[in-house]
Amino acid sequence: MDAPLYPPAKAYEPPRRLPRVLSTRDTPVAILKSVPAAWAIVVKEIPSIDRRTGGEQIKPHLGNFSLESLLVFGVVQRDAIERIDAQLKALGEFK
Amino acid sequence: MPAPLTDRRSAMTLTAGAALLPLIGIDTASAATKTQPASWPMRDIPFNAGWRFHHGAGNGLEQPGLDDGGWRPIDLPHDWSIEDIPGGHAPDQIGPFDKNAVGGTATGFTVGGEGWYRKHFRVDGYPADARLEVLFDGVYLESDVFLNGRPLGENRHGYIPFSFDLTPFLNRAGDNVLAVRVRNEGRNSRWYSGSGIYRPVTLDVMPADSHLDRWGVAAWTRQLENGTAVVEVTTDLVTPLEGLELVTRLRDADGKVAAETRSAASQSVSQILSLRGPRLWSPDDPQVYSLETELRRGKTVLDKVVQAFGVRIITFDPQRGMVINGKVTKLRGGCIHHDNGLLGACAFADADERRIRLLKARGFNAVRSSHNPSSRSLRDACDRLGMLLIEEAFDVWHEHKELQDFSIHFRDRWEKVIDAMVRPARNNPSVIMWSIGNEIPLRATDQGVEWEWKLANAVKRLDPTRPVTAGLNGVLGQEMIAGPETARPGFANKIDNASTIFIDVPGYNYRLDDIEREHLQHPERVVYASETFAREVFDYAALTDRAPYFLGEFVWTAMDYIGEAGLGATAFLKNGSPPFAITGWPWVNAWCGDLDLIGEQKAASLARDVAWGLSPLELLVQRPAPEGTFPWVANWGWPDELQSWAWPESADKPLTVRLYTSAERVELLLNGATVGQKTLTPEDKMKAEFAVPYAPGVLEAVAWKGDRAIARRRLETVGAANSLRLSVESSSELRGNEALAYVRVDVLDSAGRVLPDDQRAVGLAIEGPARLAAFGSANPLATGSLQSTETQTFRGRALAILRATGPGQVRVTAQSEGLPNAAVTFALA
Repeated sequence: MDAPLYPPAKAYEPPRRLPRVLSTRDTPVAILKSVPAAWAIVVKEIPSIDRRTGGEQIKPHLGNFSLESLLVFGVVQRDAIERIDAQLKALGEFK
Repeated sequence: MPAPLTDRRSAMTLTAGAALLPLIGIDTASAATKTQPASWPMRDIPFNAGWRFHHGAGNGLEQPGLDDGGWRPIDLPHDWSIEDIPGGHAPDQIGPFDKNAVGGTATGFTVGGEGWYRKHFRVDGYPADARLEVLFDGVYLESDVFLNGRPLGENRHGYIPFSFDLTPFLNRAGDNVLAVRVRNEGRNSRWYSGSGIYRPVTLDVMPADSHLDRWGVAAWTRQLENGTAVVEVTTDLVTPLEGLELVTRLRDADGKVAAETRSAASQSVSQILSLRGPRLWSPDDPQVYSLETELRRGKTVLDKVVQAFGVRIITFDPQRGMVINGKVTKLRGGCIHHDNGLLGACAFADADERRIRLLKARGFNAVRSSHNPSSRSLRDACDRLGMLLIEEAFDVWHEHKELQDFSIHFRDRWEKVIDAMVRPARNNPSVIMWSIGNEIPLRATDQGVEWEWKLANAVKRLDPTRPVTAGLNGVLGQEMIAGPETARPGFANKIDNASTIFIDVPGYNYRLDDIEREHLQHPERVVYASETFAREVFDYAALTDRAPYFLGEFVWTAMDYIGEAGLGATAFLKNGSPPFAITGWPWVNAWCGDLDLIGEQKAASLARDVAWGLSPLELLVQRPAPEGTFPWVANWGWPDELQSWAWPESADKPLTVRLYTSAERVELLLNGATVGQKTLTPEDKMKAEFAVPYAPGVLEAVAWKGDRAIARRRLETVGAANSLRLSVESSSELRGNEALAYVRVDVLDSAGRVLPDDQRAVGLAIEGPARLAAFGSANPLATGSLQSTETQTFRGRALAILRATGPGQVRVTAQSEGLPNAAVTFALA
């Protein structure tokens, strides 16, 4: 039995980002906020979203949390994000 | 000039007339208890005794001429944040807790500030050319170190070891003063950090020219084949002179040499140890060797380092998961913070060992040192007791979570932190992965991805034998592709996510529902849950069983800790109000641990016993809600369940009784009459719930498999408090003032049963060579000092922690109004 090794890479080149469709499941809230058309949809469906995501504990994580991943913390409700999803899909792909 | 803290005569007595301990005036207690080497060199000399402490700031406090006679004498480790607030007044200040503390709930309302430490010592017994280095295992937070008024350097990360060469400014013939300024200011932590020199300090004495580089030995098991282990060792040396020899050997637990190799010394020496019939290290059988590294000139040993080593090979693949020495091993993990409960952040070896021992007894085989590198004593305990360990470097990178957190230093000091995490711990067999961060803000941005690459590869340059991990919350970020120069081996030009692209074994925080879905897209990934809610224990147990690529879980947390106050709180809310509460003062501990702050099992731990197969049945009763209210549990919490059938205020009212069981069927009896039965299905997730009108007596649960009763549990209605019981946990193997004794205080009824929900004042008296290090309970609310001889029991229990001041018998007496005194006598140190 041989032990595995995890050797370092040689040099850094920025990885290439693939285009994506915005969604409540995979897109961080911070990204949705940075796209005005997307955020307008979110605010329309959850008018209190800024207050709900404005707490000091949650703010640093908006770059990591999608709306769906906030479900477990009770910040948003399932029915609202389903409505948002359908509208985000219509916006098409983003780089 | 202040006088040395220990007189020369005492120190010479300790050295028994030999010139083997020429370091005069230091650490007599510790020195007396360590076996001193018979010749040079001297490494790892405890430097913990005889310090003086001043809580506050000032000018010139590093100057050697300062009269520090009025400063408080202390022995390290020391944490001033766990001490009573000087001049504190209730109700806003209770013991170490201040309602207006800048850290608020994050630090459990404890207080930082500035403190100064000074230590006097002499070195006139040493050769004039000896090199002396001081090593701090951890100081929180910002430290500046001076010798004889001259700055040696500084450190800005609160959890890494750091050292300084004392040699240039040493007074070889007279008094020396080592001074350390420590500042813990602003909002710099999301949990209780403690303040001060909270981990041990040691001194290394070595030749000034050729010596072993600090943490310069890297050993790993390269191959296990045909009953032989091939261990590869690389050793870095400082200015190796001609004609020196490097000797590397492994000794087994009996002290016998198991393998040895010799090479000519050079700047970096690679050696192979071939070990026949190796005793392998694993969580089930943690066989530890001593790895000895000697720099020699002929028969003279110039420098020597001894450290623990375990022969083991650990592999990770999605088909089998984690495999240790050929055996598939699932992670039964718990996250822990660094504090030792009532002791605050103080890293006593006995306290670290106790934590690991308690968790091992509850079936844990892994801990995640969240979110910082652990103490040396914790790693050593993990090695000895067989606890796998994930070391973690950061809670933040370039973007802050708290305004004054480490993000302000990150760009300048990240490499130093990675180095100080990896090199001291890379020979600990318990360490299985290196985590480069926890829930890092903005990690999926371009800048975040570049940091991910830098950190992961910095780790691999220091230790390519372990995978890199990270604790990832939320989503994994945009899909992306790395080129061949940049990617992990085998992952070039493959689709990955921003947060995982340079991570070998991703850890997921609170992502239970994502794991199997993502596996369909990324079957190449080996993953684990780096943080979980306790309430999901049965879901994770099932997932762990069915998914080979899923390694297991780390519950948040395995043990309660100070800070993040009320994270796992329970409360009763008015009927009709939304099911949400914000906890604050006087909550001071997180209350989300399986074990409470003094190490007792909470309800979640009993349920975990069932989920992990330690127990076939557990019986608990939820505390009844007062009229007009309903119970609420925070996300990280567990219902307020107790092993109690003493609810006199709820006569005839239905109480919620929960059974956790691996059996097929359960039966519940009250005073001999069946009050409920249930056949469990997989959808029940090992839980059965009954509403039982309360009547005093005996509540009994029986678990059945077919016609066979496989387990019974009883709860009896206890009577009034009748006595106290003191008991001492297993005695310390340490000696001198490093030794701790844990004394439990239980409140009993006349039948000798612990009162499961009793709170009352208890006082202690201590006679003999020990002093009180801490006294308190698991109560998550601020109730008083943690260092007074008076405390309040919580759920019928309290815990006293004593620190030895010398050898001999110690007698502890407990008293409580209306109860007879209780006493216990034991030997310590």
